[in-house]
Amino acid sequence: MGAHISIPMYQRAVPQRYRLVGQRCGACGKINFPPKAVCKYCYQGTSFEDVQLSGRGTVYSYTVIAGGGAPPEFAAEARCKGSYPVIIVELAEGPRVIAQMVNPPEEGIAIGMPVKAVFRKIYEEEGVIRYGFKFSPA
Amino acid sequence: MTKSIISGGVYLPTLRIKRDEYLSALGSCSAAMREKTVMDIDEDVITMAVAAARDALADLDVSRVGVLTLASTNFPYQEKALAGTLVEALGLDKHVLTSQHGNSTIAGTEALLAALGLLEQTEQQYALVVVSDAPTSGPDVDMEHGFGAAACAFVLAKDEPGLAFEGVYAQSGETMGLRYRLPGETDIRDIGVKAFATLDYNEMVKAAVTGLVSKLNRNLADYRHIVMHQADAKTAAALAKKMGCSDVQTKEGSVFADTGDIGACSSLLGLCRVLESAASGDCLLISSYGSGSGSQALSFRLQAPLKNSGSFQARLEDKKYIGYIQYLKQKRSI
Ligand SMILES: [Zn+2]
Repeated sequence: MGAHISIPMYQRAVPQRYRLVGQRCGACGKINFPPKAVCKYCYQGTSFEDVQLSGRGTVYSYTVIAGGGAPPEFAAEARCKGSYPVIIVELAEGPRVIAQMVNPPEEGIAIGMPVKAVFRKIYEEEGVIRYGFKFSPA
Repeated sequence: MTKSIISGGVYLPTLRIKRDEYLSALGSCSAAMREKTVMDIDEDVITMAVAAARDALADLDVSRVGVLTLASTNFPYQEKALAGTLVEALGLDKHVLTSQHGNSTIAGTEALLAALGLLEQTEQQYALVVVSDAPTSGPDVDMEHGFGAAACAFVLAKDEPGLAFEGVYAQSGETMGLRYRLPGETDIRDIGVKAFATLDYNEMVKAAVTGLVSKLNRNLADYRHIVMHQADAKTAAALAKKMGCSDVQTKEGSVFADTGDIGACSSLLGLCRVLESAASGDCLLISSYGSGSGSQALSFRLQAPLKNSGSFQARLEDKKYIGYIQYLKQKRSI
């Protein structure tokens, strides 16, 4: 089953999806990504300052999605590749994010390997291309 | 006001297919590249454009960019400008002046010329030019064999040392039946008379190049590098020779053998390649060509080597080969 995200909802998240804009908590100083209404670290901060994240990080965990396990919006990609890797990245600024990996190394993905964010097509729905970030080996 | 390119950026897709794959799958290949660049399934000219632009903007203050011009023959939407997508992806100022150029492989130099003009209309210091192209057609069209993919970007600045723009000369006119695509069609068409196509290329490019050189009171021999539009390498090389260019002048700006036909990017990617080794004082000439629309020749002089000329060589070496079946899957042809 796919996780439908409406165009207005996707639109609101464009700065974070296109160029990784995060938020620095006014109370504890930690960086939230994706942005939250209340800081996920101190549960108190509600005022934030936008920060441009570097897009650099390391692989915290990973899995490989086999062709049949792909949600419908990624089916075309899975058909083309057979399978595709999804990783959890620990960003240099602290937050962990989940994303696909492009150009995985032939010898396999390793925990701790450095990665960097790249701008890619995530999927297409209603003829509208949803761009966003994936990660490639750095 | 002097306007100079102060920074360059390059993106080449990691995937490559060798010409040999065509020979073993189809028995022939209509294009004479050694190998060519292939976009991954989640890439398009906009994702390549963002990567090249980020490469060019590294170490620069993006809030000082006041102009954004874009070029491609293969934008993902027929109606909807893509400047807004780039503004968001790059974090540019929301008041940037934009223009988008397409419909022909001449669009790349058009975007560069437009940026030079728009730079006069902004208080900001920089203009960003992004040319990203991946000519596309069904795999049963012969011309498709040569089609590659690439993007390059340039930052132009007011009165800063770099690759100073010296002038342009254009040749324009009607030529019917060469490389065209109708609305709603995915295949590129061409009347397929090679001699006619070559004649048009030769006349248009020669007129633009010789016109430029005479306008600037120079000789072709004054140029360290002369970069031709390379829809195929042979035609470009033959014309350069006929005009009196030496192999040394044209060799470094050739990219066709490694990338295939990259449309509007062709001579501009060649420019990125020569910038990696150009020295202060070198004069550089580039010429574009669009089938049925003519040629534009631009002259530059390098005042000081660029701190960042883009990562052409690094991108060229970062590659992964695919076979012809996987290529068809990438193109969603099977
Ligand atoms: Zn907090």
